[in-house]
Amino acid sequence: MAALNLTINGDRLETAAPDHWTLLEVLRYRLGLTGSKQGCDKGDCGACTVLLDGQPVLACLTLAGLAQGRAVTTIEGLMPAHAREGKSGADPVQDAFDRCGALQCGFCQPGMILSARALLNANAHPTRAQIRAALAGNLCRCTGYTQIVEAVEYAVAVAAGVEPAPRAWETPRARLTDIEEQGTRRPSGQARP
Amino acid sequence: MLRLPAFALERPRTLRAALELLAENGQSAMVVAGGTDLLPNLKHELFDPKLLVSLAEIDELRGLCASAEGGLEIGAMTPLADVATSELARTRAPALAQACGLVAGPQLRTMGTLGGNVLLDTRCQWYNQTYFWRSALGFCLKKDGSACHVVAGGKKCVAAASNDSAPALMSLGAVLHFESASGAREVAIDEFFTGDGIQNKKIAPGEILTCVRIPPMPAGHRGAYGKLRDRGSIDFPLLGVAVRLDCSSKDVVENADLVLTALAAQPKRVKRASETLAGTKLGTPAFDEAAEKVAELAYQQCRPLANIPGDANWRHEMVPVWVRRTLAAAATEPNVTT
Amino acid sequence: MAARDNHGTSPPWGRSFGVLGQPHRKLDGLAKATGSAVYADDLALPGMLHAKTLRSPHAHARIESIDASKALALEGVHAVITGRDLPERYGVIPWTQDETALAVDRVRFIGDPVAAVAAIDEDTANRALKLIEVRYQKLTAWFDPASSLAAQTDRIHPDTKGPGNLSKHVHLCFGDVDGELAGAAHTIEGEYEFHGTTHAPIEPHCAVAAVDAAGLLTVWSSTQITHYVHRALAKVLHLEAHKIRVVQPCLGGAFGGKSDPFSLEFCVAKLAMLTARPVKMLYTREEVFYAHRGRHPMQMRYRTGVDKDGKLRAVDAKILIDGGSYSSFGLVTTYYAGQLLTGPYHFPTYRFDSTRVFTNKPPCGPKRGHGSVQPRFAFEIQLDELAGRLELDPIEIRRRNFQGDFTRTVNGQRVTSNGFLKCLDEVERLSRWKERRGKLGFGRGLGVAGSMYISGTNYPVYPNDMPQAGIQIKLDRSGLATVFTGGNDIGQGSNSMCAYIVAEELGLDLSAVRVVAADTDLCPVDLGAYSSRVTFMVGNATIDACRKLRGQIVQALAEKWQVAKERIRLIAGQALDLEDAARAISIAEAFQIAEARFDTLGSTGSYNTPTLGGDYRGGTIGAAPAYSFTAHIVEVDVDVETGQLTCENVWIAHDCGRALNPMIVAGQMEGSVYMGLAEALLEEHTLNRFGLHAGPNLLDYKLPTSVDTPELYARIVESIDPEGPYGAKEAGEGPLHPALPALSNAVFDAVGVRLRRLPFTPARVLSELRAAGVDAKRHAQAGLPARAEKGAR
Repeated sequence: MAALNLTINGDRLETAAPDHWTLLEVLRYRLGLTGSKQGCDKGDCGACTVLLDGQPVLACLTLAGLAQGRAVTTIEGLMPAHAREGKSGADPVQDAFDRCGALQCGFCQPGMILSARALLNANAHPTRAQIRAALAGNLCRCTGYTQIVEAVEYAVAVAAGVEPAPRAWETPRARLTDIEEQGTRRPSGQARP
Repeated sequence: MLRLPAFALERPRTLRAALELLAENGQSAMVVAGGTDLLPNLKHELFDPKLLVSLAEIDELRGLCASAEGGLEIGAMTPLADVATSELARTRAPALAQACGLVAGPQLRTMGTLGGNVLLDTRCQWYNQTYFWRSALGFCLKKDGSACHVVAGGKKCVAAASNDSAPALMSLGAVLHFESASGAREVAIDEFFTGDGIQNKKIAPGEILTCVRIPPMPAGHRGAYGKLRDRGSIDFPLLGVAVRLDCSSKDVVENADLVLTALAAQPKRVKRASETLAGTKLGTPAFDEAAEKVAELAYQQCRPLANIPGDANWRHEMVPVWVRRTLAAAATEPNVTT
Repeated sequence: MAARDNHGTSPPWGRSFGVLGQPHRKLDGLAKATGSAVYADDLALPGMLHAKTLRSPHAHARIESIDASKALALEGVHAVITGRDLPERYGVIPWTQDETALAVDRVRFIGDPVAAVAAIDEDTANRALKLIEVRYQKLTAWFDPASSLAAQTDRIHPDTKGPGNLSKHVHLCFGDVDGELAGAAHTIEGEYEFHGTTHAPIEPHCAVAAVDAAGLLTVWSSTQITHYVHRALAKVLHLEAHKIRVVQPCLGGAFGGKSDPFSLEFCVAKLAMLTARPVKMLYTREEVFYAHRGRHPMQMRYRTGVDKDGKLRAVDAKILIDGGSYSSFGLVTTYYAGQLLTGPYHFPTYRFDSTRVFTNKPPCGPKRGHGSVQPRFAFEIQLDELAGRLELDPIEIRRRNFQGDFTRTVNGQRVTSNGFLKCLDEVERLSRWKERRGKLGFGRGLGVAGSMYISGTNYPVYPNDMPQAGIQIKLDRSGLATVFTGGNDIGQGSNSMCAYIVAEELGLDLSAVRVVAADTDLCPVDLGAYSSRVTFMVGNATIDACRKLRGQIVQALAEKWQVAKERIRLIAGQALDLEDAARAISIAEAFQIAEARFDTLGSTGSYNTPTLGGDYRGGTIGAAPAYSFTAHIVEVDVDVETGQLTCENVWIAHDCGRALNPMIVAGQMEGSVYMGLAEALLEEHTLNRFGLHAGPNLLDYKLPTSVDTPELYARIVESIDPEGPYGAKEAGEGPLHPALPALSNAVFDAVGVRLRRLPFTPARVLSELRAAGVDAKRHAQAGLPARAEKGAR
């Protein structure tokens, strides 16, 4: 069991774990910071993405001892950092993901959001191709990525103070004539006795 | 969660301290650079070191700079992402920059290092699996067993070199600089890899790869790296093709080199590529014809095995296609060498 | 009774909605975005032990002995259990219960659970696993379904009737199929193959159990059907069900893969009971692949006859289904493989014969589009082939065969609203099909396909006359509504759906609605998140509960204000008199007035399906109160040198009835298409020649990344179903189906080659292109336009 001195979301923390524990294990099972998720065990999915000195890395392949002396940002750190800047609500990227429907099961999204946050920190106006490339190490099984990409574009637009572009589904919906207007059609199923 | 086996971790601050730790601990110690290859392998119980010596905190091993003679010197601990985006690397060693930019996904390129990629363990579908899986298989030649499942009755491991950087560095004539407690040595990367899939690298216990040196390229140097993989990210190569074209000021090929990887234990140089392409002018039918001939040569000289996932016959079919396409990419990209 | 009532497609206050139809945030979106949402593995209880599973290294073997004494002696190990500790069988379908939590005497696939260890930490539990000594006697392992069906010895489930390793056989015939085929102007016959895929939710399965001092067992599990886990735990543990509480924490994806009760739920419960300590088990990614329940491999033969105008006369199907080692939902799968094909096209006659066979592989089960994605793949390609034969536009043949709305299928299914034609119109227009199809040049093409899918089913898995969905609502004097639902939010947003309805009905701001879900102690029973039933059934039950409360509130206000009830509107946190704006009060005050009038405010709501389905054995399986309809157009680029297919764009039109939240509907549509394309292009759940999973990890089993996924254009079509909640139907499964055949049809448009076997790996595509004589070089040298060459074939 080795002592660990970590700087996580701006806090200097002292804890202890065996040398073979990863940063992900220490975050989740020592420090209770369970926002970083474990999906694949070994660096194939990106769910455990955290920022190390601002760069997205995989916590499941980072030995906890090697995170010492470096600034770790987890998903739990974004909203407090936003608050420390005197702003209300969640980090604009988190808010955009919520606003745009990018969170279905949500399990990949802490990692996804941190990859997106790092992208926008480095490049305030990424193209769609750059967004897709920056997120290509984070697997999402729910969304098909469309609403994730839209969320990042939404966050870019909000940060730039411009009107977000309409999202793919926001064309007028095709509506058939409401059946009650016709009045004649009845469901043909029988009522249960 | 799949857990790592127990080991002790040391984080020396200097190369000397790291070398001393290795010397003291002998075979029970392993070096960890970015950890992106070693840690999954440890989780799969492919190695059981008592001690991991991390090079992460040795500043002298990190950085990319122009060498005095006009080439490049890249510290072994330089992240792949830094090599990929370095303007110097992109202009002086375009094949290497492209190769590094195509390794795995964004996070792994940030974590993974050039040295780590050069020293990547060979890969095989019967090897890169958990202990349980391998035990159900009855293990294999490379680890814990005696049978090869790729080549029936095979006595030589044919696990595949899967590092994207290696063929690029071979095409560039790179030199690897090693240090150990007893001294330093340099070895041309051409001499470094062997055909033994169990240990395809001539590296002695206690040695640390500290630096990769790339000699200066001629003014008309062009390069490209083509990577065949299932997805546009994350995956190891199903085939890697590094191309070097050194051209005259009139875009006539004077010297060429092609090195392929993800076939067998070591990257493979296509024989007679240079003489076939030499004298042809980029953008002319003569070059395209020569490229076609080189593609055919590559096809004849390569025999992909069913070592890594993916249909081996198809990978063989892809050799000429990717040779042709990567040659075309090298020929058509603007000449960026300064 | 109220449970069977329809609530109409419009609310009692008129036709306008304040909440529904808008892209509201989800209730749990920010919790997920900030990392505060709690998933099963995020739970940590004081003194909690960690459990691991020992698995079979043999595909088929008899267990001769298990000696766990060395494992038990290891410091830190608290308990070891084997099949003898949990011998009771379970299984979702009451008639095919063939699973045990841990193998009893026999293992049936590599990865079958054999023993479980609880220890102070995972490392210790892992060490203990290696100390358990199991002696096996190997048996013949059956991997090929056709051989397995003929097995005479070493049968996988010796107590089944057979023949061989038969799991289920269904043969149903509707009308004179042979006569119609004989009289058809054109018949076409073909063989099609689906390879097998798995769900691969990013969250691995996890369960935590704790027993309190009074003996109450609580199991938190990453399940999508809390109720079945509850029932199965009671059965297997021999506990009264009221002494068990099952809770589903936030769930990290399921797609059908968390529908069965799983070994780990029983193991943590038993280990917690034995050790009197909380116990957690988290599957590794590899173990998730062994738990599987993924989409069944199917070998399908279809014969279809049409008249000279392209109208269907008969469809005849024969399907061999590789079930893997256990039944799971397989009885239903075997029916669904035939029953769910009879739309959106009119089948005058239809016959199907489907046979599910046990093999020594991880068990298959329900995956998004359960049982019907594979037949849909075959049939939609065959429709395209018929269109080619008749020189009809592929969209036109689909229009001609449209079954219509408010109709009944040949197999007795009642179809209500049906927006399929509109779906076709929309994708045709958006993709500029007429201008572009066949004109994109060699190597690039467009393909179309359609489908229908159930919105729930009237088959409740275990027969009973109780409601399929139940809701309770409690109103607080603060103006807060708390909704209790047994429904499982698996990321599809069902909790949010409940909240939208309650907010709409009771005039609340969304922040004044809490949803308590998927907790068997607190919530009324719901049958869980499967068969695309939740919006339809739970939505209707929610309306049912809301209407009762709304009636009380409106009546109390009408009495107090001395006005007609019709003048009262509950909206946006206020109660209004529509004719006297000065009377507006907060909804909290309205609740207080109603509570004073009617006492404590609370209500229940229920939903059950009407009697549906054909009057024959199996006629209710696949009978849904409504069906969704989908059309896709896929644009593909075929690299004829490599066989690589690049899907460039997908236009998706889906009839979801009414979109209660269009953003969530679109997300389901996009995610479905993504998953369907992934199954066609990249994913393959397969065994190698040793019977081992070929790559049970997320590096070898390839989920597309953001750069592998095309631009997806979701177009919502609203047909307003008479029985759905405000007219809503499902959106989470139907939109997957057409992706696979539309891709195949697009490849045909691009290069003139029919791909009938999945997956479309580059190696397979290249060999099919070569077999069809498509040669990139020859093509380029000929300098011919692509269509000329195609016409020659």
